[in-house]
Amino acid sequence: MSAPVDLHAQAAIAHWGWTIAWFLWFVGIAGMGSVAYVFVRRAALAYVIFGSLAVGIGLVTGHLSRWWNLPRVIFNMVVHGTTNWGSWMLIGTVLLTVHLFLALVPVLAHLECARRFRWLDWTRSLQTGTVYLGVFAGVGFMVTVYSGFLISDAAGIPLWNTALIPVLWVISSSVATIAVLELCHLFGGLDERVSHFSLRLGIGLDALKLFAVLAFLHVSLSVGSTGARLAATEMVSGRYALMTWLGVISVGILIPLALGLRTVWRGPRKPLLFVSAVSALTGALLLRAVVLLAGVFEPLA
Amino acid sequence: MNTPPQRLVHLWDATQCIGCGACVMACTATNAPEMLFREETGWQSLASNIRRIESVNGQGRPELLLVQCQHCQRAPCVKTCPFGATRHDARGLVRLDPALCAGCKYCVTSCPYNVRWMHPDQGLPMKCMGAGCLELIGQGQPPACVQACPAMARDFGDRNDPRSSVSQTLRTRRTRRLLEHLGTEPNYFVVVGS
Repeated sequence: MSAPVDLHAQAAIAHWGWTIAWFLWFVGIAGMGSVAYVFVRRAALAYVIFGSLAVGIGLVTGHLSRWWNLPRVIFNMVVHGTTNWGSWMLIGTVLLTVHLFLALVPVLAHLECARRFRWLDWTRSLQTGTVYLGVFAGVGFMVTVYSGFLISDAAGIPLWNTALIPVLWVISSSVATIAVLELCHLFGGLDERVSHFSLRLGIGLDALKLFAVLAFLHVSLSVGSTGARLAATEMVSGRYALMTWLGVISVGILIPLALGLRTVWRGPRKPLLFVSAVSALTGALLLRAVVLLAGVFEPLA
Repeated sequence: MNTPPQRLVHLWDATQCIGCGACVMACTATNAPEMLFREETGWQSLASNIRRIESVNGQGRPELLLVQCQHCQRAPCVKTCPFGATRHDARGLVRLDPALCAGCKYCVTSCPYNVRWMHPDQGLPMKCMGAGCLELIGQGQPPACVQACPAMARDFGDRNDPRSSVSQTLRTRRTRRLLEHLGTEPNYFVVVGS
């Protein structure tokens, strides 16, 4: 099949490229990190969650081509109620704001210098409470889910219009969170017991992620519209094939999977754990980048 | 959704069009004159609310398609715009309110017709109708593309008015709409035969 003449990459027109990929990566780590925080209430993880959210929100705000109009938009939103609750972008904006405030609580609770301030004692009691932890994990999970629906709801890019995207985002964000936990362990922020558990969980999630990525490509190639098929072809054998096979599959899934299995059989080695964690984090970023960059509009001719 | 009292539609007659590009130029000159000598980098063509698609069909015959905002009744861009900057007006047109736009570009990725382009200076997701054409139709004139067409291949009017020229054309000529299977209910009709 010859390529239609009006084939346009969304990245060239809508400019949803690397900045949005980094944004999705950061909020994914913060989101699923909040779920992990229920089980692993360590300072290092709290700092990563808050830092990731802050950087992610900063990136997406900086990406707005009319960021200077935001005060006016917010004013109209509050005063005239000009909001569209059917938009995942608005739902996400609210979720991210709530999540940022929730993520500040454990940061303040863990900060040594904050202990001097008695009026912050409530943060220490709150961050161990079941209700807070449940809400924090729930909002975090919803933030990750939102980052998937944000993409899949964009009707112009057929590659993205699948329910597999939010599922894939949740799986890969979980893998990235486990990589963060491994790094925290390597740098002394977590004990070995947690690291062992997360390593085993990571192996299962890596296998699930491999299945989800291949299913996403298969569905797009076999039953997708022309636009979805052309974009998936770019990922499998075209411009972005190297990023897909080397970056997403090999570095992002196969290396952490192999190193995880080796660690289970032969015991942990810190350099290999480091390589595994960095590979998994790189793979999660490249997955978002390749899905965004490969997206094309449906050809009309 | 309530049926608007007016339903303004665009009509492009593919059988009459000579592909001169006058409508494309007139659109830019009327709605974004500052872009007349600048390229829309994504499409690599003149920054206009009308996109010109040239292709070759299965028989090796050249084909031309002019695409612009379809003013869909079930517009995906209206559904995804977070702050209500893109919305329908009383005449059924999909309008952009710059005061409410933060430039997230969600509407650009949401448009199945790939007809929005980002203004490099204003950061606005541009589309038909621009401010110039809205002023024209406010004065009871046709939009710039209709006025500029030397082949009378373009028309614009109220589909709810049975006496309008667009209604008469839609009754008597064979037309099609683009990507109709998506359920967007576009209000841009392509005349393909008698």
